[in-house]
Amino acid sequence: MKKLLIILCLLTSSAAMAQKTEGIVTYERKTYWTKLIARLTFLSQEQKDRAAQTWKNDDEYKEKMKLAFNANESLYAYPTDEPTDGGYSWRNSDLFLYRNFEKDKKTDIIEMLGKTYIVEDSLHTPSWKIGNQIKDIAGYICMKAETEDPIKKQKITAWFAQDIPVPAGPERYNGLPGLILELNINDGDVIIEATNVTFKSLTPDDLKLPKTKGKKINDAAYDALIKQHVAESISAHRNPYWAIRY
Amino acid sequence: MKKLFLLAVLCLFTVVLQAQSPTGASRFTLQGRAVDTAAAPLPSSTVMLLSPKDSSLVNFTRADDKGAFAFKNIKAGSYVLKISFVGLIPYNQVVKSDGEAVVNLGDLKLKPITKELFEVVVKTAKAPLTIKGDTIEYNASSFKVPAGSTVEDLLRKLPGVQVDQDGNIRAQGQEVKKVTVDGKNFFGNDPKQATKNLQAEAITKVQVFNDKTEQAKLTGIDDGKKEKTVNLELKEEFKKGGFGKVTAAGGPASNNVSARAEAKGSYNKFNAKHQFSLVGLGNNTNQQGLSRDDYQDFRGSNAYNSNQNADFGFSGGNYFYFSDSGDEGLGIPVSGRQGVGFSNNAAGGVNYNYDTKPKKWSGSYYYNQTRIELDAERRRDNTLPQNEYKTEENSNQVNFNGNHRVSARYEQEMDSLNSLVFINNSRYGIGDGYLSRLQNLIRSNGATTINATENRSTQRQFATSNSLIYRHKMRSKKGRSFAASATYEVNTNDATLNLNSTNTYSGPITTADRLADIHQDQRNNIIRSEYKASLQFVEPFAKRFTWETFYNFSLRNDEVDRDVFNRSDNAARVDSLSLYYKNNYIYNRLGSSVRYSHKGLNLSVGLAGQRFSLDGQFAPDQTSSRFNQINRVFTTFIPNVGLNYDLKKNRYLYGGYNVSVQIPTSRDLQPVINNSNPLFINVGNPNLLPQLGHNLNIGFNYFNPGSFMNAYIGINGTKYVNQIVYSQETDPQTLVTTITPENLSGGQNMGSYIGFGFPLKKTKATLDLNGGINLGTNPAKINRILNDTKSQNYNVGARLSLTPAEWLTFYGNANYNVTNTQFSINANRDQTFSNTNWGGELTLRLPHSLYINTTMNYRISINEQLNFDQRIPLWNASLYHILGKAKRAEIRLTAIDMLNRNVAVSLNRGVNYTQSETIQTLARYFTIGFTYNMRGVQAKMRREGFY
Repeated sequence: MKKLLIILCLLTSSAAMAQKTEGIVTYERKTYWTKLIARLTFLSQEQKDRAAQTWKNDDEYKEKMKLAFNANESLYAYPTDEPTDGGYSWRNSDLFLYRNFEKDKKTDIIEMLGKTYIVEDSLHTPSWKIGNQIKDIAGYICMKAETEDPIKKQKITAWFAQDIPVPAGPERYNGLPGLILELNINDGDVIIEATNVTFKSLTPDDLKLPKTKGKKINDAAYDALIKQHVAESISAHRNPYWAIRY
Repeated sequence: MKKLFLLAVLCLFTVVLQAQSPTGASRFTLQGRAVDTAAAPLPSSTVMLLSPKDSSLVNFTRADDKGAFAFKNIKAGSYVLKISFVGLIPYNQVVKSDGEAVVNLGDLKLKPITKELFEVVVKTAKAPLTIKGDTIEYNASSFKVPAGSTVEDLLRKLPGVQVDQDGNIRAQGQEVKKVTVDGKNFFGNDPKQATKNLQAEAITKVQVFNDKTEQAKLTGIDDGKKEKTVNLELKEEFKKGGFGKVTAAGGPASNNVSARAEAKGSYNKFNAKHQFSLVGLGNNTNQQGLSRDDYQDFRGSNAYNSNQNADFGFSGGNYFYFSDSGDEGLGIPVSGRQGVGFSNNAAGGVNYNYDTKPKKWSGSYYYNQTRIELDAERRRDNTLPQNEYKTEENSNQVNFNGNHRVSARYEQEMDSLNSLVFINNSRYGIGDGYLSRLQNLIRSNGATTINATENRSTQRQFATSNSLIYRHKMRSKKGRSFAASATYEVNTNDATLNLNSTNTYSGPITTADRLADIHQDQRNNIIRSEYKASLQFVEPFAKRFTWETFYNFSLRNDEVDRDVFNRSDNAARVDSLSLYYKNNYIYNRLGSSVRYSHKGLNLSVGLAGQRFSLDGQFAPDQTSSRFNQINRVFTTFIPNVGLNYDLKKNRYLYGGYNVSVQIPTSRDLQPVINNSNPLFINVGNPNLLPQLGHNLNIGFNYFNPGSFMNAYIGINGTKYVNQIVYSQETDPQTLVTTITPENLSGGQNMGSYIGFGFPLKKTKATLDLNGGINLGTNPAKINRILNDTKSQNYNVGARLSLTPAEWLTFYGNANYNVTNTQFSINANRDQTFSNTNWGGELTLRLPHSLYINTTMNYRISINEQLNFDQRIPLWNASLYHILGKAKRAEIRLTAIDMLNRNVAVSLNRGVNYTQSETIQTLARYFTIGFTYNMRGVQAKMRREGFY
């Protein structure tokens, strides 16, 4: 009898565990353009201040993102059935970021610079530094971790949930002991914050990449492409981030 | 007991294992168990292994159901072990392996975070709570205190902190002995000094921790006693600031041009909520207004506002508009162009913006004045059904205009569903003018009328526009919304004109060819008021469909009181020219459209019904017994189709069909006989109907951000119904032309454009090419005979941007534009005129912060029929030096129009004429100038794109 109880207990707890490692996160991705403009080296202080003062009330650009995850895989993309809220529908550039943690593999479909690229490589988890801060995001207590994007020279702050043991996350970030519920790029230039986490069993479609033609490259080639574009744009006095993701 | 035994055996086993490998393993296993203070296991807690150097994550795992965890096969060395569990303070411990194969840390106890802190700070305030050992850090901005609060008020809000009536602070039950600011003591040791005097707004973080006593710090001997300490971290002041800029330049008189001077200054002060700015300028160098950058600096967050449109309708379409020309607008004039003629300008203003999320308001005052002197020469070739004649005109005019502008805007977000916007823009303007004009009407037989006019005029104008817009998002359904607006506008113009016109003649002139001399005093009093209201309802009736319905109402009321007196005839009233006119113009529109929006495709289809009714009366005088009545009703249906398609790879397709409705302007509608130029008399037409234009357009854009290549193409066409055209009646004897607006159908325009830009060498050289064709047919009656003016315009252009190095840039452009015009009433009068433009700009950075900028523009205007051939080269240059290490000042030598050739030339085409116009304009002058900019002067090496 006692044993039965224990087994039952174990079963229910493992069931609970299974639930906590599979589901869908909805993120709100906010871009603060004037902060981004303030980082452009070719602008004068006067131009940066002018942009900051003029656009201070219309600075925030919001979009929704979706992450489907289970213990071994994740897919980060734009939600397909985005309601238009009385407004217009703008096309989002293709973006599908697939991760397989078990096989240490990723496949990213990224439309940028006028082409569709398919990045296939191993995960290349960044070196995370774990901090001492905790905060609540969408009802989950998260810990702070920091890293750096060596190509775009960005400071990355991630907040991962202590009790969702999945190494997935938004954008191209992953590899923490818990699911990343907030990503803060360069002290708030871009903030991707979870608004809702739903635990449910995924259908195979939730993690399926669309069939897309594109140029296949690896991480090294992707990094080289980004690096070249940023350098060229800065030297042509253009904002590189109109054409690539910040 | 059993467990204990097992553990003991395990420990022994470990020791044995260690003994077996005395040389030390290069890899080891780390294990332990996470428990709370009551020794209960913490299942599934997160266990991380960090590098002690920079806390970077080396490995992580999850504890099992019993809280036990193990890292196997890890490299020997030292690590920080970190365990976290919701609601508990993360556990940190340094772990070293000294060659053991297994390091067992046993039970590791995680302490609870005070429930209060956890619930209030982390869960409710959603504030990040930083825990560094004993230190707990609060994020000050998460705790709202009223403006002007002190730090004491802020501390009262923090969970776990108490402040008593005397200002004594207790944190986690203990008395706070010390308050530091950025780690430093503040006004000695009394903690209340800091908390009572510092503003809460200046604080970003509050840290509470146990510090060594002052005694221990002084002696260096840790007595083990700890004091509760509060540290206040000050905000970076980046959001607060002020900046200013002043420029002054002057130059001596030279070759018939008097001394030139210009000055401009601005100052801005701002923080997160407030923006305050001042601007002022004065010059006699034809700079008539603020530049776009100056305007943006002046208005700040109020420079461009969305949510301004009170006239709801087909999204984005200007469905009807009044284009009352002649009046200056209500908005602050912004001009980037150099004016023509000779002008003295002065302007100044003050602006204040207050911006918070729920409430925003803004107010501004701006005054500008311009005194402009224009010496113009116009030559005109006129075509009549029977014959043709030439007009030669030389005029001199001096106009003064001063305008006071006030604007106010208030926006309130009452809650997440309701918002309100109030917008006011007002202007009060005074002006006077002097015009002296000599006109020769030269008939083909040589008979010439020489008319000399001298006009003096004054005017006072007042205009105000007030709109209130309310928007409501319905809670019942996402995307369902309602909006209502009301607008009240008034325009008044009180004008006088003193008119003197005398005529002389030469050649074979007959009595019938002669004109009467005019000596009149005229007074015009015009009031136009307008009341508008709009409603809109948006319903998303399916996932990808939006249904929009709107209603617009407008009542325009015009009143004109015009008195004309003959000065030569004992100031007798001239009834034929005097007028009292009054009307009500009512407009109603009800419309609906459906839009399909999905994945970048937006397609909308709509229909609206409009009804205009005009109800007016006029007579020579207010007291007249008989008034002429006007009653007109006009009903029309207007369809609307719009397409926006955002395609893959930065391609964008757009197009649409809509019907624009243009209501006649008050000036065109009022039956006023305007004889201020006695040879060209304008008469209004009270029977005018609104003009309808069927517009069709389609276009395509492409941009490749990888290769920096772009291309665009587009075509648009308009077919008019009841087009408002200006028909002319020229008296064949006197050659006096009377111009009257009337409705004619049949006019149409077609335009097309194409462009292509690509880098010749990426980031160094770019070439842009463009071209266009515009075709038009515009009808108008010339002496009651229908004349179709057909025109074909072709243009091509090229632009070259060279930016080979940071110290050298060159921009060159070439444009060619040719227009052929045919008049159906006279096949022999075809006209061709062309403009060719060559331009170049070179900027060089020399050593020692020295810069050279030079521009050259060469413009060729040709019309063979008018024997017109003007070739004007304009060459400007400036040499400047940026001073000092801080680069805040600049000294500049400027030479404008070094070849001394500047005149303003234009060629244009009217209903039945082509005209060339030459206006004497400020030519060569030199200045030396000085600029001081608090934010630093940056040399403008490149033309700006968007960023």
